[in-house]
Amino acid sequence: MWENLDFGQAIEYAADPYASIRAWKNETGKKVVGSTLADVPEEVIYAFDILPVTLLGTHKPLRKAPSLLPDNACSLARSNLELALTYENDLFDGFVLPQVCDTTQHMCDIWRINFPDTYVESILLPRQVDRQSARYWVKEETMRLISSLSQWTGKSITPDDLKRSVAIHNENKRLLSELYQIKRRHPETITNKQLFSLLKLSMQVDKKELNESLKKIRDGLKSHSDGRNHVPVVLTGITCDPLEIFDLFDEIELNVVADTLVTGSRNLQGIVDEDKSDLVEALMERHFRRGFFSPIHDDVFKNVEALKALYKEYSAKAVVYVHIEFCESEEYDVPDLKVAMKKEGIPFHMLVTEYQTLSLSHVRTRLHAFFESLRESGR
Amino acid sequence: MSDKMSSKDLSKKITKEYMDEAFHAHDLGKMVGYTTAVSPVELFVAHDIIPIYPENHAVACLSGRMGTELSLATESMGYTSHLCAYARSDLGYRKTGKTATGGIPDPDLLLACNAQCFTLTKWFQVLARKGNVPMFVWDTPEYIKDKKAREEIIKYCVMQLREMIAWMEEVTKRKFDYDRLKEVMKYSAESSLLYKKFLDMAQYKPSPISIFDALIGMAIAVYRRGTQECVEYYQTLVDECQAKVDRGIGVLKNEKYRLYWENLPVWFKFSDHAKLLGSYGGVILTSLYVHAWSLEFDLDKDPLLAMAEQYASVFSNSTIEDRADMAVDLFKRYDMNGMIMFMNRSCKAVSFAVPSLRDILVKRTGIPALVFESDMGDPRFYSETQIRTRIEAYFETLDRLRL
Ligand code: SF4
Ligand code: SF4
Repeated sequence: MWENLDFGQAIEYAADPYASIRAWKNETGKKVVGSTLADVPEEVIYAFDILPVTLLGTHKPLRKAPSLLPDNACSLARSNLELALTYENDLFDGFVLPQVCDTTQHMCDIWRINFPDTYVESILLPRQVDRQSARYWVKEETMRLISSLSQWTGKSITPDDLKRSVAIHNENKRLLSELYQIKRRHPETITNKQLFSLLKLSMQVDKKELNESLKKIRDGLKSHSDGRNHVPVVLTGITCDPLEIFDLFDEIELNVVADTLVTGSRNLQGIVDEDKSDLVEALMERHFRRGFFSPIHDDVFKNVEALKALYKEYSAKAVVYVHIEFCESEEYDVPDLKVAMKKEGIPFHMLVTEYQTLSLSHVRTRLHAFFESLRESGR
Repeated sequence: MSDKMSSKDLSKKITKEYMDEAFHAHDLGKMVGYTTAVSPVELFVAHDIIPIYPENHAVACLSGRMGTELSLATESMGYTSHLCAYARSDLGYRKTGKTATGGIPDPDLLLACNAQCFTLTKWFQVLARKGNVPMFVWDTPEYIKDKKAREEIIKYCVMQLREMIAWMEEVTKRKFDYDRLKEVMKYSAESSLLYKKFLDMAQYKPSPISIFDALIGMAIAVYRRGTQECVEYYQTLVDECQAKVDRGIGVLKNEKYRLYWENLPVWFKFSDHAKLLGSYGGVILTSLYVHAWSLEFDLDKDPLLAMAEQYASVFSNSTIEDRADMAVDLFKRYDMNGMIMFMNRSCKAVSFAVPSLRDILVKRTGIPALVFESDMGDPRFYSETQIRTRIEAYFETLDRLRL
């Protein structure tokens, strides 16, 4: 299904992968499990021969979700709920849902109540990552997930199953990192839209198949210029949706050279040490190699420091922050982040997204204005 | 302390002495630790760290109708009006210095516990950055129904309490005294039981207390848990209520509707709501929120375990189904026949459960619910006529059902 995609098809699937997942499911007879952001150890789900799919919202209208989750909940949560309740409600065999903030904590309960006959498991990963106990807890929760999936499927997994799964996931991350590196240097070879579509699709479809496409795409690339006309920028936030935003970036020749997006580089940081004999331990260790995620408590200056470092390392010209409206977590971060960026002399542009009502023309106008003034100021 | 003092005077005295001590903490060689209303504050008390609750200070400011003014000051710094009104009030206070009280001292350290909400962690992070102050998050995963998972959650929570002790020792450069903790826990256990007894006075008919009494009465349980004066205060309060019960004195002479309230109160409408509901013969008796401090510590257990078990299983960290069970228990025990469910824009931790909770409670009790949306502290989000009309209509419905 996904082993022979070119860029065009990848973009198409990334915009709406669900029809292809449904076809894949019919074809293979395998189970599909949905999750929300972030950090669900998908390698574990995959080891059970189940397809883990990260739900990343929908731009379709909300019907059932508003009566369950009020309008001051973020649109990512509301639209994920809608997706599962209305648009794709026959697709998922089960759900493994993480709790990262007040919204997601309630979502797990709401989900369970509204899917009484479906497998719904919460994964309670730590909401602090600055102490030893968090390491203990990630391991405990990973083991609880394994035993919960075993109970549900009536199957158990061997260390080899997990090893194979980890290898596929690692390969996916390595291939994407490779493509990112090419795009960083040669933005005319891979556009922002193309790269971020691949990143998104990788969180939703069978990575074993997709890896084949990624290899072919990589091998077929013809290097163009060194992107001298492009403005290098660092992207930050949780996720950047819809993918059309990347069209706007391409239109004004921005080159996303680095990011701290949860659906971007933070995901790629999740490579697991395949050589470790205890892979659950290895999965735990990688949890702590990932970067900043707003709702999870860590060093309170971590995000600022990470952005400063990336800005410098890649000689970026600006930081673009993608904010999901009503994400309370981000709303507590933004003012300090703005001040810190200003103090460092880092141009900072904030984009506010909303899954149902986003006006791309408004985003375009603001982006144009920001980067025009940046260019004029000769930076 | 004189046992002749009324609970009201006692509360004033305790609060004054507490705040005086907090403002002079450094002169007394002590530190000020900010913490969250639901938190293992016993560890602070046992370690002579003076606990300060920015939430309590915010309540005073919001009740004093300063919500909009302080929020606007916060918004001028780039924060949105979607945040919890406590945080907006607090950050606004820090910017303007405006307060309905004498303010609160700045923190030397911060403790956030997410059994209550996750918002507090983010709010305290802002304060941690502002003052470059050390911060500890006690992470309490949702107390899901699975028995084995619960055991593991408690284990993880206890592990973190040990880390917290080590952290306090490092910050204060003083050794933690476990014997002192046992003593503090004794007071905490005793006062919590008395507090519960006070809340349960609402079982009597007519009820000698309404939720508004409970909301005033809970303050000492929140900020003076673990002290002897806290025990004395609740003993006095219980005795006063019992005297009312003995004389058949109720909040209302003609108590017609005994109501359940979901969520925090609308702080700036506190007495208006009591009067309005009273005019229909309605008295709000209780909520899950006020019961958050009805803790039942098992003193035979290791204090850290006893704390973890109580705090991790508080209503705000329980599943919606468990919250419903807790509420149904209150409906039965207090014999309530109405419910008002407030969708509080400020508090996602409580409010996002409301639609599902309403469905379950209406189904299980057969009692209709009034749901209204507003904000607990910011009058900009309060529509007087709309809410009044809905309350009137609700009582008409209840009247009809009684006929
Ligand atoms: S972290 Fe933010 S974006 Fe994610 S679910 Fe919570 S509120 Fe929504
Ligand atoms: S009102 Fe709700 S969101 Fe605000 S601090 Fe309290 S529990 Fe947290």
